[in-house]
Amino acid sequence: MPQESDDMQTTADSIRKSNIRTTLAVSNKRTPAAAMTAEACECAVIRSKNFSLYYGSKAGVKNITMDIYPCSVTAIIGPSGCGKSTFLRSINRMNDLIPHVRTEGRLAVDGHDIYDKRTNLVNLRQQVGMVFQKPNPFPKSIFDNVAYGPNLQGVRRKDELQHIVEQSLRGAALWDEVKDDLKKSALALSGGQQQRLCIARALATRPRVLLMDEPCSALDPIATGRIEDLMGQLQSTYTIVIVTHNMQQAARVSERAAFFCLGELIEYDHTSKIFSNPGKKETEDYVTGRFG
Amino acid sequence: MNLRIRGTLDRFFTAATGLSVVLLMLVLVAILGPMLYRGSNAVFFQGTVEFRKMQRDLFRRSDEATLNAEIAETEVFHRRISEMIDEFRKGVDIEAMSSQVRDIHRTFGQELRAKAVADDRYTELRNLTRDIRDSLEAAFAKQDIREIRPLLDGVLLHAENPAFQGTAAEKFFEIARSFLATAETVDLNHQQEYAAALRELQGILFHTQDLPGLLGPRPDEPQPLLVMLRYGATRWDQAQQLLDRFFWVEEWVEEKPGEPLVMRKEPRADLFPETLGPLFAYVQENADKMLKPKFTAYWQFFLDDNFNSHYFGGVGPEILGTLFITLVGMLFVIPFGIVSAAYLVECATDGQVIRIIRMCINTLAGVPSIVFGLFGLAFFVLFLFPLLGFEPKPCILAASMTLAVLTLPVMIRASEEAIRAVPRHYKEGALALGASRFHTFVTITLPAALPGILTGVILSLSRIAGETAPILFTGAVSMGDVPRSVFDPTRTLSYGSYDMAVGDRLAMMVPHNQYGMVVTLVALILILNTVAIVLRTRVYRKLRGQ
Amino acid sequence: MSNAQISLTLEPAADTRRPMALTPGEDFRGYLASHLGRAVLFLMTFTSVLAVLLILLFVILRSFSFLSGYSLVEFLASRDWRPTAESPVFGSLAIIVGSLYVSFAALLFAVPLGVLAAVFLSDILSWKARNVVKPVVEILAAIPSVAYGFFAVLVLAPWMQKHLGLSTGTNALNASLILAIMALPTIISVAEDSISAIGRELREASYSCGATRMETMIKVIIPAAHSGIIAAVVLGMMRAIGETMVVWMASGNATQIPHPWWDVSQSIRTMTATIAGEMGEAPEDSEHRGALFAIGVLLLILTFSLNIVSEYFLSRAKKATGKT
Repeated sequence: MPQESDDMQTTADSIRKSNIRTTLAVSNKRTPAAAMTAEACECAVIRSKNFSLYYGSKAGVKNITMDIYPCSVTAIIGPSGCGKSTFLRSINRMNDLIPHVRTEGRLAVDGHDIYDKRTNLVNLRQQVGMVFQKPNPFPKSIFDNVAYGPNLQGVRRKDELQHIVEQSLRGAALWDEVKDDLKKSALALSGGQQQRLCIARALATRPRVLLMDEPCSALDPIATGRIEDLMGQLQSTYTIVIVTHNMQQAARVSERAAFFCLGELIEYDHTSKIFSNPGKKETEDYVTGRFG
Repeated sequence: MNLRIRGTLDRFFTAATGLSVVLLMLVLVAILGPMLYRGSNAVFFQGTVEFRKMQRDLFRRSDEATLNAEIAETEVFHRRISEMIDEFRKGVDIEAMSSQVRDIHRTFGQELRAKAVADDRYTELRNLTRDIRDSLEAAFAKQDIREIRPLLDGVLLHAENPAFQGTAAEKFFEIARSFLATAETVDLNHQQEYAAALRELQGILFHTQDLPGLLGPRPDEPQPLLVMLRYGATRWDQAQQLLDRFFWVEEWVEEKPGEPLVMRKEPRADLFPETLGPLFAYVQENADKMLKPKFTAYWQFFLDDNFNSHYFGGVGPEILGTLFITLVGMLFVIPFGIVSAAYLVECATDGQVIRIIRMCINTLAGVPSIVFGLFGLAFFVLFLFPLLGFEPKPCILAASMTLAVLTLPVMIRASEEAIRAVPRHYKEGALALGASRFHTFVTITLPAALPGILTGVILSLSRIAGETAPILFTGAVSMGDVPRSVFDPTRTLSYGSYDMAVGDRLAMMVPHNQYGMVVTLVALILILNTVAIVLRTRVYRKLRGQ
Repeated sequence: MSNAQISLTLEPAADTRRPMALTPGEDFRGYLASHLGRAVLFLMTFTSVLAVLLILLFVILRSFSFLSGYSLVEFLASRDWRPTAESPVFGSLAIIVGSLYVSFAALLFAVPLGVLAAVFLSDILSWKARNVVKPVVEILAAIPSVAYGFFAVLVLAPWMQKHLGLSTGTNALNASLILAIMALPTIISVAEDSISAIGRELREASYSCGATRMETMIKVIIPAAHSGIIAAVVLGMMRAIGETMVVWMASGNATQIPHPWWDVSQSIRTMTATIAGEMGEAPEDSEHRGALFAIGVLLLILTFSLNIVSEYFLSRAKKATGKT
């Protein structure tokens, strides 16, 4: 085990030295204090090295090598069908549900290769929360939805659950809207509220990483704005990876951006760089709207 | 022109398809309509006082005071009718009269012995009464009034004999007088026919050896052993049929040679001399007063046991047995069905094994139900039970297990469909929160699929409740006690329906109970299915709405 | 709401974080649980397979003594079925023919009606009206067979005797009419599925060529859906052959082959009815019982082969619609 993390460390070093520029310049959006936090936990939370995933013989993503850094928002952009969702879902092994899936290369969270046979999937998924494209609250009450994760972790005491539910809902900026009817069915909420409920549900397991798979694509502009604000608030605490095909959204919320095309990682850099001065022709074509 | 033909043909085609569906609906109505109507007669009908009497005696439920008053009122008619018949019978029933005079002769002899009369006096009187008896019998045998009168006059000479005063022998003269009266009014040439017709009439009014009549046993008769003979017509419709038979005689006559016989109705009164006319008028006038029909809702039909192979009573034990078999069967089907469905949806990875399992499920669904019966007998009753140390005889457990195997495909398919219909994102949401697959299934998928699974459960229930062939040799009986454990055989609605449909004459006498049985079964199954259909529409509407 | 509040309460504290790697104990337990759990689930699922095997095994086992001691040719080719005679004869030809006879006669009524009704349901009726008609079909399917038998004996048989001038009301016609009603729901639902599975493209193509609805249906849609319709017919046939109570009650149970062959007013006897009717009286371990189990084996063979045929056509129908 230690040997393996050393291995990962050297890999990371080599990556840092090579093609991808990963120096942590202070983003113009962030306060100095936040930047210091980021410096402090500079080591990447998620490291992917030559990671490929195949559905049967068809490749979903090929040879992805990238590091994702803590306490920031990383956006994955690209045309549809380019494998961005596939990669995102690989990070907490949601692709396991699909039959005949096979992976190559390495994908590590916190220095642990999650495709290792001896991965504790439960712990992985609790540390890497996920928010899906379509709001997917369970057909239960609002309270039960949020308490589902803590329940799994063995939290049974009512007051403790109450506390976690309240804090998670506050964290997802939903508390004020639903505090009076926590017993109501989650399906009765509006689309935007449902999506924030799903975020609250993900927060309640106290994850480090939050994966968001086009979280706003099913929502109206106002709800989208609220979710984006929320991401801005959450990024000081969580590592957020968001898949989006809305480039304005990527530009608004993310610190770094990765451009995927046809299952491959084309370019990965600071968002400002990607959108103002991309290094690759394909990226430029995509962000300027000439393709995609 | 060509276009017009094509258009017409097209319209014909559309009409034909529509007609086929209309036909289908008509068939459903034709099968269920009369069945439901006639079956409802088992519960709702005009019950007579005899019904209330029967309910009191057999099931201990009645309004004592009112019933006693009713019985007292109706007894009057019963008695009067018996009297009228006796009156008439005196003249025509030779056998009865002959045995009566023989009885009198015997009784008289015993009386003399009791009085310790002297031997010679005894012999003298006995000879005298023997002569009287013989002349009476001789008179009975004659048909011509001219021959009868001298014989009877000879007998009546002794009427004033003081030795007979206050003894049994007095009855000789009563009989002689009434017979004389009859002989003067009735044409004794038809005596034999009258006697036969009277016996039939009495059968309709009171009861024959094995079938009940309109009024129940004669007031002076001891209670018959057979329960159903103790009561008259318990239902007004039954009573009306009997009244119809009472007033009319059905005859099959050949109107023209070579053609099928035609049924014709003749008044029964024509079979008798006019002396019996008042009886017919009396019954006609007082029919409803004798029986006091009253609207009855006999809901205890669904609780009561039956008497004399369903002549009286209800289908309580049958319902109980059906529920018993169904519930025990469900104990096996539900877990196996849900687990199989879950495995097929959630865990199945190996294509070959799954293909084989699926093929077997389809095969199982196609096995004829009677073969399940053979299997149940051969495997459960004759193989498994001895192996486990139980007595190898048909019982509820064997029937339930057989039916469970039979309905397994229904349950698996319905549950599989329900589990598949649960949106994938529910499952993903739970898995992304770190729930294990088992936990996800139990806390998220299963509750969401529950209404659909419930539909499957109800459909399997109705299938188990309705099947007959598999339990023929594994646990169903047509008669017997209410089962006390799963190791007893039981009566069921399905087997009961079969038994009554092909049953003997007795079952045909009580069509309301025949239909009541099958309608109880059909209603039970229709209710279950309606619930399942409504439930399923709701579930799909809900899943689509989201 | 402030950021500070969130950070305070929901920061993923180090002590709540759990190791990503499984401890050996967890690993072992997880392995055991998942494999043991899977094994248990698999075994329970395997019950269906087991049931089929046991049915085959036990029915064959019970008929074995009979089949090994009795001439197979005589069993299959003789028309004489006299199980209780001094020297019993077990010739099941008339019985097998009886089963096939009523089933085919039933299909004669049920197939045209069923296909027409399926066309009506899938192409002519509005969605709303379909929701009214479909339950009718389902209720027809749900009525227990003994209730159909009851109807056949107590309603249809006397009616036929009275109005058609037949010598007996329980005959091949009665049984096959009722069997047709019972096979209809199966035929309608399978045929309707396969007809509506044919895509709109074909219909639109045909209509755009100026074809009427009848021409579209008969020349395009029904030929395209023929695999599914054949499967429907075979499944209907299976239902008719396997049905017990109705034929037992309505067919008259006379061991004979109708002569002339088209005379449906004669009584006949089927395999299922023979088993149902005689099993109760056949003494245990007797030759008679073995012969009845042998008829069960024949029934199994018949339904298994029909099942294979229907599966073949169903999978072909699925493939055909999958491509279009």
